[in-house]
Amino acid sequence: MAQAVPANQKWWGGGRSPFNVEYGKLMMWYFLMSDAFTFGAFLISYGTVRFSSNGWPDPNHVFSSFPFAGSMHMPLVFVSLMTFILIASSVTMVLAVGAGHAMDKKGVMKYLFFTIIGGLMFLGCQAWEWTHLHHEGAWWGRNPFLNFDGTPSSTNFTNFFFTITGFHGFHVFSGVIINIVMLIMTWRGVFERRGHYLMIEKAGLYWHFVDLVWVFVFTCFYLF
Amino acid sequence: MSNEAVLHGHPEVVTTHEVHHDEHHVHHHKETFITKYVFSQDHKMIAKQFLITGMTWAIIGGLMSVLFRLQLGYPDQTFPWLEDILGRWAKGGKITAENYYALVTMHGTVLVFFVLTGGLSGTFANFLIPLQCGARDMASPFMNMLSYWFFFGGSVVMLSSLFIQTGPFSGGWTAYPPLSALGDASPGSKTGMDLWITAMAMFVISSLLGGLNYISTVLNLRTKGMSMTRLPLTIWALFFTAVLGVLSFPVLLSGFILLLFDRHAGTSFYLSDIYINGVGALPNEGGSAILFQHLFWFLGHPEVYIILLPAMGMASEILSVNARKPIFGYMAMVGSLFAITILAFLVWAHHMFVTGLNPFLGSVFVLLTLLIAVPSAIKVFNWLTTIWKANIRFTPGMLFALGFVSLFISGGLTGIFLGNSTLDIHLHDTYFVIAHFHIVMGVSAFFGMFAGIYHWFPKMYGRYLNSTMAYVHFWVTLIGAYLIFWPMHYEGLAGMPRRYLDYSIWESFKQFSDLNKFISTVAMIVFAVQLMFVFNFFYSIFKGRKVTTQNPWGSTTLEWTAPIRPGHGNWPGEIPEVHRWAYDYSKDGRDFIPQTEPINPNESKH
Amino acid sequence: MANFETTTQTEQHSEEHGFDTKAIWRTFWILLVITCIELVVGMFIAPHYHPYKLWFNILYIIFTAAKAFYIIAEFMHLRHEIKNMIMTIAVPALLFIWFIAAFLWDGNSYKHLRNNYDPHHKEQTTTPVKNAPAHGEHEELPKPGAVH
Repeated sequence: MAQAVPANQKWWGGGRSPFNVEYGKLMMWYFLMSDAFTFGAFLISYGTVRFSSNGWPDPNHVFSSFPFAGSMHMPLVFVSLMTFILIASSVTMVLAVGAGHAMDKKGVMKYLFFTIIGGLMFLGCQAWEWTHLHHEGAWWGRNPFLNFDGTPSSTNFTNFFFTITGFHGFHVFSGVIINIVMLIMTWRGVFERRGHYLMIEKAGLYWHFVDLVWVFVFTCFYLF
Repeated sequence: MSNEAVLHGHPEVVTTHEVHHDEHHVHHHKETFITKYVFSQDHKMIAKQFLITGMTWAIIGGLMSVLFRLQLGYPDQTFPWLEDILGRWAKGGKITAENYYALVTMHGTVLVFFVLTGGLSGTFANFLIPLQCGARDMASPFMNMLSYWFFFGGSVVMLSSLFIQTGPFSGGWTAYPPLSALGDASPGSKTGMDLWITAMAMFVISSLLGGLNYISTVLNLRTKGMSMTRLPLTIWALFFTAVLGVLSFPVLLSGFILLLFDRHAGTSFYLSDIYINGVGALPNEGGSAILFQHLFWFLGHPEVYIILLPAMGMASEILSVNARKPIFGYMAMVGSLFAITILAFLVWAHHMFVTGLNPFLGSVFVLLTLLIAVPSAIKVFNWLTTIWKANIRFTPGMLFALGFVSLFISGGLTGIFLGNSTLDIHLHDTYFVIAHFHIVMGVSAFFGMFAGIYHWFPKMYGRYLNSTMAYVHFWVTLIGAYLIFWPMHYEGLAGMPRRYLDYSIWESFKQFSDLNKFISTVAMIVFAVQLMFVFNFFYSIFKGRKVTTQNPWGSTTLEWTAPIRPGHGNWPGEIPEVHRWAYDYSKDGRDFIPQTEPINPNESKH
Repeated sequence: MANFETTTQTEQHSEEHGFDTKAIWRTFWILLVITCIELVVGMFIAPHYHPYKLWFNILYIIFTAAKAFYIIAEFMHLRHEIKNMIMTIAVPALLFIWFIAAFLWDGNSYKHLRNNYDPHHKEQTTTPVKNAPAHGEHEELPKPGAVH
């Protein structure tokens, strides 16, 4: 106790964090803010090009398959499953953070493990979807689909789809890597020695952000 | 997990107020040459690294302008020595058209990003934020180091593009597609453009790492008593600069990623209906070149404030210190900085009035753009009232700060012309634009930077810069800048377009040949004087007059309470506590009252 | 350490919410239900009311905003941070309003520009591909891979 500080000290008076959070968490929040602008710019570009086109393919028609379901017409089901996986992995991530607050090493490891599994499942789903679309002839610069009204579609439908879901998938992938690193660090007792599990919290913020972005990707590509 | 423990979790520089910690860091820090000068995590050393890298770039970028001014001033002459130094870039002693464009492009890119962004806010945010906030170092010294090395890496990549077979990118610093998207469009659009994008991507990462650090340091690591409203205006300006960078650079990055796909993955985000001579019609359909311009300028406009705000902040501080008067309207200054930050994000399309932008949308952008005049005017009047009836000390730093205000006014006024979409029909892409932005963000930001260097050089190196050379530097640069750019307004109003190799074959602009010669001559003189400044800089690091007092300018702010040559950790003992704002000059019969002095009960209120 | 009184207070404050497992699961169910509604609307209802696509899109935007709110507020814990911190996140996010509005506005304008001044472009992009099925009857027909 170097100095006694009056209890009514102001948050902004200096010598402490005005938000009562450590700098790392603050940085993570502002990094995510920055990353939100990266994704925002992608999605807004997509919107701009779509607004400047006379027609656009119908997502219900393009994204209508489900693994092993053959030619059944099931629009949105698969992507909703992916959404579910991501939301569920977000929940396990929060539980890991909660376990960290309680200094429960086993709990942190358990929930981190589930989160990683969730992330890998999501990536697997995405890989399947990409492969499927690729077999249908879709790729960067190649668009086999027609517009909603049967007019020819520019390649920008697939261009944006692969770029943005790819960029999101890249984020999921790095999130999984981060979580694996966190798992290893937890296992080796790094945080226990440090006395707090704040790193898990920061990794958690990143993971939820990935989930958040997916919500927007889901709406922009699969619903609109 | 008390607030304290959590706050200052980084191991390198602990920021608790406990004395034994502090001593630990000052004395027991083993430093090798590598950790001290190369991979340093000390914010002061990183600042110097940014500054010297920036200066190197400024010389390269300035030299480029001299080379193309040579062409513009003497289009009918050949200079055999040019071929000696530039080789096939200047066959027969005359710069070829492609390389003229490459020079113009690189000049813009280098000056805007590598000098006036990296070199300016990189230097002073790093140097001043911990010192003036009262912190041992940045929130994350490691990320800070990475920030510099990404900047350096980007620099190396950008520089290497000058030496490749097909030459550096030559489609203008704004990198508009299709020139930037199609390798077949021009030689510079091939590998040169890939290197350009790579370098810029690294630059964006560097600015992000730096910016996050600056923001969290200002928010979290202020010393006891240093409330936000007691911060010097430099810190406010650097803080908003960081906010601008963190929110706008990612948009540019997205734009570049889409551009990369257009270049290499056969997409057509920005491409539609294109025919290339010698190649034929391209299959790309459905893209929009205007989209790139939107994305680019969504960064590009905040970028001019990223350049300008640090200069504004430093000028405010230096004017107040040397006028020996409190800054006039502190809260109005902070408020106008905030207003500029917000408006900076809302006005980007005024760079695109004539590109096919919806005219009605354009009129909204006109309105928003002209609104910027309000906070800018508030700042100008506050600077003027700060020096009003003051007993001014004309130190070199002060002269440059005054020069900054002068240039900001002259350049800012022409911004009001250009902000009108109707006037822009006539003025766009002319020398009027060149004159406007060179004065308002080029030269004036340079003046802010010089002011900062002259003012804080004693803190950086414990020595003064040579004053005689400084005065010559100031007067020649100020007069020279006006002589170079003032005539360009007239050329621009006469309709002389920018980015042309040779105006002498053009009937309407033949009349300007002598004027162009004059501009070129002045430009070379001014460039030579900058070299003198660089000499002064390096000479004074080793041989300059030594600083003997802790507070040579009689300044109130915290950096002058640190030792003359502070070590890593800045203050040997406890970090001083702050009791007042940063501008108590000429108060109650005293010349100045440092921020660390407790408020006397009999003191008058400011 | 310093700030002893204030920090213990806020610590309890944050722990209270950090461990609120119930709130987390409630959020999970809310997100799941919204997604299911979106799925049902998008799969079974919207395809039958094409002229009202715009209204469905507005509905989707509302759903998305709700989901985003719950993820940020509960999962990312922002609702339980100090109000000023919430503001530093929320205020910059407002920039998206003009970012989106101006971009889409100009995108739309670009479409009209090209339709007005480039008749070839208009003809190319508004004439249906021959022999290709109009949307809605594709179940029986092979995938329209005709346009490469």
